[in-house]
Amino acid sequence: MAAVSTGQIEEQEPFAGAGAQGGVERAFGPLRAALEETGDIMILTGRTIVSALRPPYPYGEELVSQFLFVLRLAWLPLMVTTFALNYGAPGIQAANILQLIGATDRLGGFFVLASLREIGPLITGTVIAGVAGTAITADLGARKIREELDALQVLGVDPVKNLVVPRFLSLMLVTALFDIYAVIFGVFGGLLAGILYGVPLGEFWSTFFANVETTDLWGSVLKTAIFGAIIAIVCCYKGMTASGGAEGVGRAVNEAVVTTLLLTGAVNYVFTQVLLATHPNLLVIKG
Amino acid sequence: MAAEEQEHSGSPPEGGGPEAAEQPTAKAPPTTGRSEEPMIGAAAIAEALAAGGELHATEIAPGTPNAIEFRDVHKAFGSNRVLRGLNMSLPEGHISMIIGPSGTGKSVCIKHIVGLLYPDAGDVLVQGVSVPSLPDDELFAMRRRFGVLFQDGALFGSLNLYDNVAFPLRQHTEKGEDEIAEIVNRRLREVGLGGEGHKMPNELSGGMRKRAGFARALVLEPQILLFDEPDSGIDPVRTALLCELIKEVHSENGGTYVVITHDILSARRIASYLVLLWQGKVVEQGPAQQLFASEHPFTSQFLAGNPKGPLTMD
Repeated sequence: MAAVSTGQIEEQEPFAGAGAQGGVERAFGPLRAALEETGDIMILTGRTIVSALRPPYPYGEELVSQFLFVLRLAWLPLMVTTFALNYGAPGIQAANILQLIGATDRLGGFFVLASLREIGPLITGTVIAGVAGTAITADLGARKIREELDALQVLGVDPVKNLVVPRFLSLMLVTALFDIYAVIFGVFGGLLAGILYGVPLGEFWSTFFANVETTDLWGSVLKTAIFGAIIAIVCCYKGMTASGGAEGVGRAVNEAVVTTLLLTGAVNYVFTQVLLATHPNLLVIKG
Repeated sequence: MAAEEQEHSGSPPEGGGPEAAEQPTAKAPPTTGRSEEPMIGAAAIAEALAAGGELHATEIAPGTPNAIEFRDVHKAFGSNRVLRGLNMSLPEGHISMIIGPSGTGKSVCIKHIVGLLYPDAGDVLVQGVSVPSLPDDELFAMRRRFGVLFQDGALFGSLNLYDNVAFPLRQHTEKGEDEIAEIVNRRLREVGLGGEGHKMPNELSGGMRKRAGFARALVLEPQILLFDEPDSGIDPVRTALLCELIKEVHSENGGTYVVITHDILSARRIASYLVLLWQGKVVEQGPAQQLFASEHPFTSQFLAGNPKGPLTMD
């Protein structure tokens, strides 16, 4: 042990075929990185679900605090956005077209499709991603940069169980609840547009309730809960893998929002198509 | 240089703020919190800087077992090959230092020791146990043997100093709050932060955060303590004070200490065993006295801080 041992200092050895390798790396590097990241996100999803189910459950306090945090941040932007968007886009514009064909009473029925099936979940997902997802990525990214996450692991604390799981569960719960909230304010937006076009309230509600099915409601809530899960996993992943100082945290937040919106759009399409295919009665216009 | 240091440390800047609390004055002794202990004076620092530091190495008895061993460890991040066949052994019960130029893979070594990173090839043994092959449960259990002082202390931003230091005790022991308070306050006093427990990490200076990180790393009385560049971002006086603190705590508690640094003066002050890394490999390793007397061109250049030699800006 006490003897001095020396090693060889070697120059950076030239690598055979380095030029060709560099070209391949440049061409397929981004693709490989994207595939690796997809794989890592899927692994994190699996670990989060297993970790959430397997005892112990030390994350109760963090879950409640995250739930209240998102609730506090998102209630007002979500209310304003859903009301304004539903009043403006499907409300006034659909009423305009329906007036041409003398069918403004159909506005209620149209709002099942517009607000409950599409705009409610999508706006909820977008607002939660923008308001809470960015906060999660920035928070975890800063902790990663300050080596707090490494310190946690060294102190025997599993960051997946203690940080990712509570955010995953609270975001699923809060987005599902916020979906109902968004649908309520969305429908009121439509109702206001209807009043503006002289639609009697009775006709609006009549076509609304004739077309709405329980499947619409649970489908909407389930879809939004899935959006919540996507936001939590992607934003936690981006935060926990941030690197490169403060600039890296900014980059991670940007990437988290872009990835979340892309995935939300893709899942929305697949989910709605599967729901309609498995429940063809939803396609029938009634009343 | 010596005169400059003397001037700086002899007349600390006036004013409040977290830095002010750390000034080495008789009013707030930062070394140990015990006012009867002599401070490291500016003259001593200046003298040490001028003389290149006095060696404080303790003898390593022949046959001392290895606490940590790296066996032909390779690690790459993308195309950046950080470790390229690293072989090193660090003796049990001594302060070892891993030194080398910036970006040569020193911090990556610490992350391999605690299982935060896994080698692409090779093996890392801690007290004879292969860390990369441990299942998660055993790895978490093994980490209780470690205390780690990260570069900036890595204190949890949402907890105050007291709760940061109490965190490992609450996490891993069944101790009551009274007993935890006794341990935490003793450790905080030991690192000169007695009475500062209520402060949040963002209210502390860099040096204070490091000392608080040191206190947190000590509370579970780990067998192995790892320091990731304890001297980065703090001035030479506070580096000297921190080195004194490390030496003193080691002499009181024992254990294996591994310090990552590129500061030669720190190496002279506290290292018993030295490992010199460059380009992801060990250039030379052995007892500190022998390495400081080495005639190896890279070792002698690096340890003398000589601009002429195999190490260039490239």
